[in-house]
Parts: sequence; structure tokens; C-alpha cells
Amino acid sequence: MRKILAALLCLSMLISLVPAVMAEEPITLTVFRGDPGDQPTEDNKIYKLIEEKFGVKFNFTYLTGDLDQTLSTRLASGSYPDLFDGGNSADLIISGGALINLLDYVSPEKTPRLWAHIEPQKARLIEKDADGNDVLYIIPNYGLPEGPQIALSVGGPAFFIQKQVLAWDDYPEIKTMDQYFDLLERFLDANPTDENGTPYTGFAILCEDWRHFCLINPVQHLMGRPNDGEVYICVTDQNYEVTGNDPAQEFKTETFIDKPYAKAYYQKLNEVYQAGLIDRSTFTMSYDQYIAAISNGTVLGMFDQAWDFGTATSALADAQKYDRTYVALGLVYDPDYVNGAEIEEHYLNGSLPNVRRGFGISTSCTCPERIVAMWEEMMSDEWQMIFNWGIEGEDYYIDENGRLNMTEEQYANTQNAQWKLANKADGFFQSSPKRQGWILNDIQVGDKVVKAGNCWEPGNQDEIVFGLMNDYDKEFLAAYGYSKFADFVNPPIELAPYGEAWQIDYTPVSTAHDNFLKVQDEQLPQLIMCEPAEFDAKWDAFVAEIQPYADEFGAFMQDAVIAEAHKVLDNVAE
Amino acid sequence: MTSAAKTPGTERRINPKGARYLQRLGTQWQLLLMSVPMLLYVILFNYVPLFGWVNAFKDISNERGTLISFLRGENPADYGFNNFTNLFKPGAIPFMGAIRNTLAMSLINLVMGTVSAVVLAVLLNEVRQKTYKRTVQTVTYLPHFLSMVIVVGMAKIIFDSNERTPGPLNSLLLGTGILREGPDWLGQPQYFWWIIGVINVWKEVGWGTIIYISAMTGIDPCLYEAASIDGAGRFQRIMHVTLPGIRSTFIILMIMNIGHLLDTGFEIQYLLKSSGTQQVAYTIDLYVLEYGTGKQIDYGLATAAGIFKSIVAIVLLTGANFISKRLSDDSLL
Repeated sequence: MRKILAALLCLSMLISLVPAVMAEEPITLTVFRGDPGDQPTEDNKIYKLIEEKFGVKFNFTYLTGDLDQTLSTRLASGSYPDLFDGGNSADLIISGGALINLLDYVSPEKTPRLWAHIEPQKARLIEKDADGNDVLYIIPNYGLPEGPQIALSVGGPAFFIQKQVLAWDDYPEIKTMDQYFDLLERFLDANPTDENGTPYTGFAILCEDWRHFCLINPVQHLMGRPNDGEVYICVTDQNYEVTGNDPAQEFKTETFIDKPYAKAYYQKLNEVYQAGLIDRSTFTMSYDQYIAAISNGTVLGMFDQAWDFGTATSALADAQKYDRTYVALGLVYDPDYVNGAEIEEHYLNGSLPNVRRGFGISTSCTCPERIVAMWEEMMSDEWQMIFNWGIEGEDYYIDENGRLNMTEEQYANTQNAQWKLANKADGFFQSSPKRQGWILNDIQVGDKVVKAGNCWEPGNQDEIVFGLMNDYDKEFLAAYGYSKFADFVNPPIELAPYGEAWQIDYTPVSTAHDNFLKVQDEQLPQLIMCEPAEFDAKWDAFVAEIQPYADEFGAFMQDAVIAEAHKVLDNVAE
Repeated sequence: MTSAAKTPGTERRINPKGARYLQRLGTQWQLLLMSVPMLLYVILFNYVPLFGWVNAFKDISNERGTLISFLRGENPADYGFNNFTNLFKPGAIPFMGAIRNTLAMSLINLVMGTVSAVVLAVLLNEVRQKTYKRTVQTVTYLPHFLSMVIVVGMAKIIFDSNERTPGPLNSLLLGTGILREGPDWLGQPQYFWWIIGVINVWKEVGWGTIIYISAMTGIDPCLYEAASIDGAGRFQRIMHVTLPGIRSTFIILMIMNIGHLLDTGFEIQYLLKSSGTQQVAYTIDLYVLEYGTGKQIDYGLATAAGIFKSIVAIVLLTGANFISKRLSDDSLL
């Protein structure tokens, strides 16, 4: 009976859509987050504001344990949280039918703000279901920025090197693989241990579980492409001469690990392994051990994605070991390795909507209209300021020029996990639709005005990034004549129509793909550690073993990439 | 002949027997009541889940949608014995490899575990100093209560093969000059089974001695006295009194262990494996886990693997029991 009443109430709200009605009946929404986290405090000030304005409270459940298992159990039970974030396995709850189609509630008329938010990328976001209907299950939590792309630093894949190594060599320009390993080798020879006598590790390779991308992904980047997972895709014609691809073939896709141009990288790793740059224990290291080693400041370099060792970076900063933090370098093959071709690096890609990541509304939810209406209201300038920056005067200030800024104390708060639990609504906001990028119009906040040209996210705001930057980093950048750390790599290129190929669902060829990865997991460490004289023979054996899986997976990816690209290209053409 | 031959006497003989049985049940109702929870436990957790075996004959492939519909109670297509034949087709985790690894690790654990437990039990039995004996017993069986996560964490530190900052074991081997070069303990497949065996011995040896020591206390002291009078030394007393005294315990434990030969579990392997060792680390249990709940979800295949394991276990158990019955009079069933 109560359910029917609630449904009727929601229906009446849909018809009237008067925001005042929303505060009428207080409700508590159950929320599942597909990643681990901490409960907000009872008196969290932002959640209090939400409760006052919308009459909505949240009951958070964070992931503990294995995501796939948790989601499967939830699906089997058939009753879902109202706001359902499937994390990296959202495909599971979508195909399980746990989420409602948001297009029933989101439209240019009903929700102009949300629509304007997704409209530019709607070709990527709105999918077809089995019956050919348009569906949208999740409005991405990230990746729909406003204005020109902001790239202050490298957030994704790159070859990283400790700042002290570059400083020791008098700030050289490192552009190629050989330069990079040569510098690491010279530094390690001159400085075998740190000031406490702990030996330095020259180059670390994390291989644990799904984080083995540190081992298996670099080749595509050395060939000049941003992250496409385990395939190399020719989008520009720059490397056709190297790979021998047919330029006439659109988005020519191939697995790279079995190709001759991949051999050069692993042979180089074998060479530096012999020189003592790589320790064999790197191949048995767990993620925790890896983070601990980086946090110690004794790892000179690695290939990784910046977010993957974010906790270690914070730990180094906390310990004020700024010279042990890292710079992301965009390395490419030296021309010698690729028939003399000069490869242009593209580590930074155009911004990509975080498709199928974030909150969906579950079929168990009794009032989807109310949630969508709340999101719509929250996409307003005022609410986005509250979520992103906080409360004016408490969490940030607006200076006389209409610029957003923080005092050092306010900034320190935003780095304090305990403070955030009481003063930020991260549990809800991180998985909700949000505005990112540039603030494009003036916003009235109290009696002050935030001028256009500020950034939605404090982390992108010049005043925060450079005003609060430590002196070591300032001097370091000055030595290079750069203004930001992204200057070490090329500016982002335009996102290819297919997006980034790692987002493609491999399920139809999962067996081949699993084997493909398994052979690499087993063989690549052995190749790196083998006697140099045996390398050629072992490489050939590796290629022979992986070939059938690589062929099957590569062929599937070729079709998938073209299909994905045409989804977008055809949509744009309409 | 059958009907006419019945005499009143036979009927009388049957009835009182049944009545006596009921009467005995009646007088022992407290015992019966006490056994009810265990009975429920066995039914609920050992027999009811057998209904899940039907999964093995269904097509619940890695198409996630099919699995979900199955979990919802919709009936997926019959699949005959295809899941069983699929077990032996090449896949990302070869099932044959899993069987080999399981058997190898089981045998190593069985031999090392039993030998170490018997030896320690005999040694403890010879100790006459009570406090010392108790201390050793307590210290050796305490690791049994440690979680496998902690044990493997310790093992990873001890066997750490970093060349610049080696773990305790390699430091010892290199420092004392026993080896020139520290082996890559956890990264190379050839050490993996043995490391697991050593860890299991360390963890379980004290626990394993408990039953043997209690069996030894049951040996009549007169036998020892008689043996000494006959001139048997300490070693001969062990050989001719102690060991024969625990023979039946030993055989029954052996039969039970053989039934559990495929039960190496998965925790230690799951926690200790790395890219270099995964081909020797996958056990049947890990295989079931990976296909049952992991990324490669396929309930049908996982259940088929589980059934296969159970059937082999039953064959092993009855086989061992039969052989033991033939060789001696000791048997479990």
C-alpha cells in the first residue's frame, strides 16, 4: 500500500514538476558504491543541505570484497539499492536488467540541464538495446567537461621518472626509450642507494592481476598512440611505414605484443635487467608492496598510470620528499628501432566520457522521477559550486577579481580524509553527473560573483595548482621553462571516433583474450630475465605460442573498433 | 509353504525386538535430541546443496545474461554432458593442469605432513619432562589458528628474493655462503609446490601430533616394561611398541586423508601465486572458484569440475578403505 502511495506521489510530482513538492515527504535513498570507501559523518554539512532542500537522505553501502561477486549476489536477490553504482563491472548489472532506462525521465523538455550536459556526447552515451530502442542507463560520473580541454598533468599512462633523477642530470629533455633507460642506468651507477642506505630500484614493473598493464601496455605508447588497451590502432598515417599496415584500411587494428616492433621494448628491458635496473622480485610483487616501494622513494622509474600510484604520490608529498615524486614522460622508440621513423608521441588523448560508470537508478527504486529531478536541480550553477568547491567563506573564497581560491588551511582540509567525511558529499557526488572543465558564465554566490574563466574543479584552478605548489616543484618547472607538468608531453590529440579501445567489451572472445593475457603474464617476465643470447629464440617461441589467441582477439577487436567508430560517425552524420 | 509355515513363535520374536528398540530410543531421547543439530547441519549444508549439481547439466555459459536469468530461477537449456567434456578442452586455465597441481600438492602435503607429525609425536612421547613437552606442543600447534592470509604474508617476507634487499631466508643463505646466488623462490615454478608443503608443515605439524600423542597414551605401559626387560633399547621400543601401537590410528587417518586428496583448498595457492607460478598454482578448488564467481563466470563448468572432484574423492576413499581392509583389519567404513 505504501509503495502504491509513494508511486502515486512520484507520479503527481512528475506531472507538476514543482520543486517545492520535493521537500514534502522525506525519504532515505539506499545507495551502493562499487568501490571501497568510508561512511560520511552524521552531521555532514553538505548532506544536511541536501536534506533541507530535497528532503532526501542517503544510506550508503560501499563495496567490501570482490565486486563481481557482490554484484552477482545482489542480482540474484532481485532487490537493489535505489542508486546503484556497479563500478568497473556496471555491464553486469545492466545486462542483468537491474537499471531503468533514464531516457524515460531525461529529455530536453523535462530536464534541460541534464540534457545539455549529455547532449554533446550523446552519440557515445545513448545505446541501442536488443530491441533497437534508445537506452541510457548511466549518466557518466566523469568526462563531460565544458569548454576547451584542461590538461595540467598526465593522469593516465606514461613512463614515470623521479624528479631527482632529472635534476641530477641537469634537467635533460628525455624523449626516447633509450634516453630514458640510459639516464636511469647512469643515475643508478652513481647513486646505488639513497641517503639511508636503502638500495634504489631502477625500473619497477607491476604485474599483479589486472594491473599487469604496466607490463603489457607500453608498446602502443612507444609507437605514438594513446591508450587503446592491448591493441595498436592506426588512426593517423604516421606509422604505416613501420607497421606495414594498409593505409586504405580504416582504423586498422592489430595486437601489438606479437609484432616485431614490440620485440625492441622487451629486448631493451632484458638488457637493463642484465644491467641491474630491474629486480626479479618485481614480477612477484603485490600491489601493496609496489606502493610501499614507491612511497619509500626508492623506485627511480616505472611505466604506469598516474592514478594507479596516487596513494604513493600523496605519501611522498606528505613526507615532503618532493624530489622523489614523479614526472610523466612521453617516450617513443628511437628511430633505430623502427626503420628510422620519427614517431610523434600522443600520451594525452581527447577527453572521454566515462561511459557506463556512475550511478544508475535501479528497478527497485520507487521514485526515479524524484531522483532525476534532484539531479537536474543539482546540475545548477549554485549546487555545482557547493559540490565542487563547498561553502563560500568556509571552504574557499572569491577574491576581488571574481576568482576562486583557497587559503592554505582550506586547501589542507581538502587533502584530509577525515575532514572530507564531514564536509564533502563525495559518496554521492563522485558517482553522480557533474560539471567539469571551465565555468563558462558568471555565477552569483551570495553577494559575490564568480567570473567566467574559473574552473569547476579546484584541482584544475590555476590559483590552487600553482599558488599552493611546493617550492621544489616550482623551481623544477622553472628549470625546464615549463608552466605545468603536462608540458613534458604533447597536448592532447582529438579523441578518435571509436573512443579508447580498452573500453570495448571482450566477452564474446573471452577465452581467447584470457589465453592471450595468460601467455603474456607467463612469458614476458621470463623474456626479460632470460640470458641475452637466448632472447631471440625465446621471443620467437613466445610469438608462436601467442599467435592463435592474438589473431582471434585482434580480428574481433578490428570489427569492434570499426563498429564503435561508426556508431559515432554515423550519428554525427545524421 | 510360506504362509502355512509361520508359527506364532516367530511373530512374537519380531514384535518384542521392535518394541525393545523403541523403548531404547525412548530412554535415550536426550542423546537423540543432542544429535539433531548435527543432523540438521549435515542435511542443510552437505545434502541440500547437492541440488545445485543440476547446474552441471545446464548451459550457463559466460554470457552474463544467461547466468543472471538462471539465478532468477528461469530454467536454462539442457546441456547434457557437454560441461564435462568441456572440462578437458583447452581453456585459459587447463583443467588437467589443475588436477596435476592438486594431486602433486596433496601428495607433498600428505607425505610431509604425516611424516613430520608422526616424528614429532614420537619425539614428544619420549620426552619425560612435562613442562617442556607441553611448551613444545603448544608452540607447535599455535600456527594452526593463524589465518592463511597472515601465514602467506609471513612467507612472502621470508622468501622475498629481491636481489638488493633479500628476505631473511636468502640473507641467511647468502650471508653464510651456502649459496652464491639467492634463488627466486616465489617467482619460479619449480619451488612452488615445495614452498606450499613447507608452509603447511609449519602451520599444521603441531595440530597433527595431537591425535598421535593421544593414541600413544593409550598404549599399555606394561608393553614398554616388558620390552625393556627383554633388553629393548629406546629406539627399539619406539620401533616395536610405539609405532605398532599407533598403527590403526595412522591407517584410519591415512584413509581419511586419501579421501581428501583433492582438497588442497585454494587459499594458500590463491594468495601465493604470481604470473610466473600460476601454471603450477591452479588447483581444482581455485578452478571452481574462478569459474564460479570470478571474471570468467560459468556456473555449469564450475559445477562439473566440483562434481568431478567429488566422484574422484569417493573412488579414492572407498579404494583406500578396500586396500586397507585387505592388507590389515583396520578400516573406516
